[in-house]
Amino acid sequence: MISNLITHPSTSLILGAMLIYMFKGKGNYIALISLLASFIILIFFTDQKDLVFTTTGISIHYFSYNSLSFLFCLVFLLIGIIGKVFSIYNNNDNEKALILIYISSSIAVIFSGDFLTLYVFWEIMAITSTFIIWSSDSMQSGKAGQRYLIIHLFGGLILLLGIVGLYLDTNDLAIRIINLESWYSWLILTGLLLNAGSPPFSQWISDAYPEGSYSSTVFLSAYTTKASVFVLIMTFAGSYILVLLGIYMIMYGIIYALLENDIRRILSYSIVNQVGFMIVGIGIGSELSINGTAAHAFSHIIYKGLLLMSAGSVIYMTGKRKCSDVGGLYKTMPVTAACGIIGALSISAFPLTSGFISKSMIVDASYHQNLEIIWLLLLIGSAGVFLHAGIKFPWFVFFHKDQKIDTTDPPFFMRGAMIAASAICIILGMMPNLLYEILPYKVNYIPYTGNHVVSQLHLLLFSALAFFMSLKYLKRTQTITLDIDWFYRDKLKYIDKIYNYISENLSNYVEKINISILKSRFEIFENFLLKQITISNMLTLILITLFIFLVLNI
Amino acid sequence: MKTRKNIIYILFVFVNITPYLYSFYDFKKIHFGIDNIIGFYPIYGFLACMGLIIIAKAFSLIFKKDDTYYD
Repeated sequence: MISNLITHPSTSLILGAMLIYMFKGKGNYIALISLLASFIILIFFTDQKDLVFTTTGISIHYFSYNSLSFLFCLVFLLIGIIGKVFSIYNNNDNEKALILIYISSSIAVIFSGDFLTLYVFWEIMAITSTFIIWSSDSMQSGKAGQRYLIIHLFGGLILLLGIVGLYLDTNDLAIRIINLESWYSWLILTGLLLNAGSPPFSQWISDAYPEGSYSSTVFLSAYTTKASVFVLIMTFAGSYILVLLGIYMIMYGIIYALLENDIRRILSYSIVNQVGFMIVGIGIGSELSINGTAAHAFSHIIYKGLLLMSAGSVIYMTGKRKCSDVGGLYKTMPVTAACGIIGALSISAFPLTSGFISKSMIVDASYHQNLEIIWLLLLIGSAGVFLHAGIKFPWFVFFHKDQKIDTTDPPFFMRGAMIAASAICIILGMMPNLLYEILPYKVNYIPYTGNHVVSQLHLLLFSALAFFMSLKYLKRTQTITLDIDWFYRDKLKYIDKIYNYISENLSNYVEKINISILKSRFEIFENFLLKQITISNMLTLILITLFIFLVLNI
Repeated sequence: MKTRKNIIYILFVFVNITPYLYSFYDFKKIHFGIDNIIGFYPIYGFLACMGLIIIAKAFSLIFKKDDTYYD
C-alpha cells in the first residue's frame, strides 16, 4: 500500500526531486527537508519487514531490511545532509534534483531484496550520476561523463546478463551469497566490481569524479562505489579472489596518486585505494572482516566527503585545481586547512580518528585468519595511504611553497559542513562503540590496545619520514599518467560521429515532412516540451511515472 | 622553506621518541613472530614507502605524459 512506500527512505527524496522542478529557486530548502525527512523515516518509521510487490508471477522485493542496509542508508543520508549544506551556494537547481534522485536510487539499491530491483536502480544510479557530471561547467565534463556512462552501461549490461543466467538456472532472483562455480556468477561479480572501481577499469573514478562541480564530487564519491561494496558483501563475501583484487586496488591507488597533480584526482585515486581495503575485507569473509568492511565504508564515506569538501573549498575560493598552482593556503584558509588535515589523518588511520577504529579491523582480520602475506601487504597499503592522502594532499595544498594566493575561508555553511564532518571523524575515533553497536555482527574488538596504537604510530611516523626524505622526487609536474583508457579513449570519437550522423539525418528527415498536421504537432511538441523539458527533467518524469505506476498497482 | 625545516625538526623529535613507545607494547600478544622484532613496524613502514616511491618513479618514466596529451 501507499503507507508502505512512505516508510521507504527513498520516497521522500524522489518527491523532493519532483518539487525542486516545480518550485524553481527553492531547491536548497526542498532538498534539505526531503533529506531530513528521509533520515527521520529511516530512524523512526521504517518497518523491519520485507515489502513485496507481486505481478504476473514475479514478486519484486523492493524493500528488504537488515542491519547492514540500515548502516549504509544511515551514512548515505548523513553525507547527503552534510554535502547538501556544503553545496548550498551552488545555484544549479538541476544538479540539486539529480543529486536527490541519485541518493534515492542508491538507497533503493541497498534496500532491494532481489536482483531485478537492484538492476533497475543500479542503472538509474549510473544515469543520474552521469547527468550530475554533465551539469558541471567544467570544460572536460562532457567527454568525461561520456566515458563514465559507457563504462557503467557496459558494466550494467554484464550484470544484467549474469542476472538473466541466475534466473534461468535457479528460478530465484533473491539477493544471497553466490558461489563462483557458474558462468553467470562471474558475470555478476564483474558487473558489481566494475562499479567498485576494480581492475582493469579503475580509471573511471579518477577520470570522471574530478570533473563534477566543486560540490557534486562530494556526492559522487560516496554512493556508486559504496553501494557496490554493499552488494558485494551480500553476494560474494568470502571469495578469495576479492582479496587479490583488493590488494591490487590498494597498490594502484597509491602509485597513481603519488604521480598525480590534480587535487581531486589524488583523492579519487585514494577512493580506489580505500575501496580496495573494503574488497579485501569482503574477500576474507570472517565476521571481524565483514564488520570491518562495514565500519570502514561508514568512516570512509565521511572522511572522503570531508577531504573532497576541503578540496572543493579550495577550488571554489581560488578557482585552481592543481597542486602545482596552490600552496601555503594554511595562512589564508585556516579552517579549510584544519578540516583537510583531520580528514587526511582519518584516512591514514591515525589514532583518535575514525579510520583507526575501522581500517584496523580489516587488517587485524587478516592477522587472525593467518594470512601472513596479505597482512604484510595491507601494512604496506596502510603506510602508503599516509604517503599519498595523509601527507601529500595537505602538504602540497596547504603548506609547501607559498604561492601568495589572496583568498579567505569559504562562506559560513561550507565551513559548517566541513566542521560537522570533522567532528564526526573525531567522535567516532574517540567513541568507537557508537559505530560498533550498529555493525552487522557482535563486536568484540578493542582498537585502543598498547600494541595497536604503538605499531600504527610507528608505521605512520616513519612513512612521513620517507615522504620528507624523498620530497625532491615527488615534485609536482604538469603531467598526467596514462592508464587502461589509453586503448579506447581516441576511439570514442567514432561514437560522436555516429551520433552526429543520426541527429543530422533525423532533422533533415523532419524538415522534409510537409504534412501540415504533423508539422503543427511537431511544433507543439517542440514549443511546449522540448524547450521546457531538458533531458534530466525527462528522467524525473520517467521516475514519476514509475512511482505512480507502483502506487496504483500496490 | 622555514615551515619545511620546522616540520622536519618536529619529525626528528618524533622519530627519536619512538623507542619510548615500546614501553606500551606487549611482546607476548604477537601473532606471526615477525612483529616480535623491535623496530619491525618503523623499518617496514619506512622501507614500504621508499619502495612505493621508487616504483612510482619508475612507473612515471614510461606512463607520465604532458597534461595536454589527450587534447
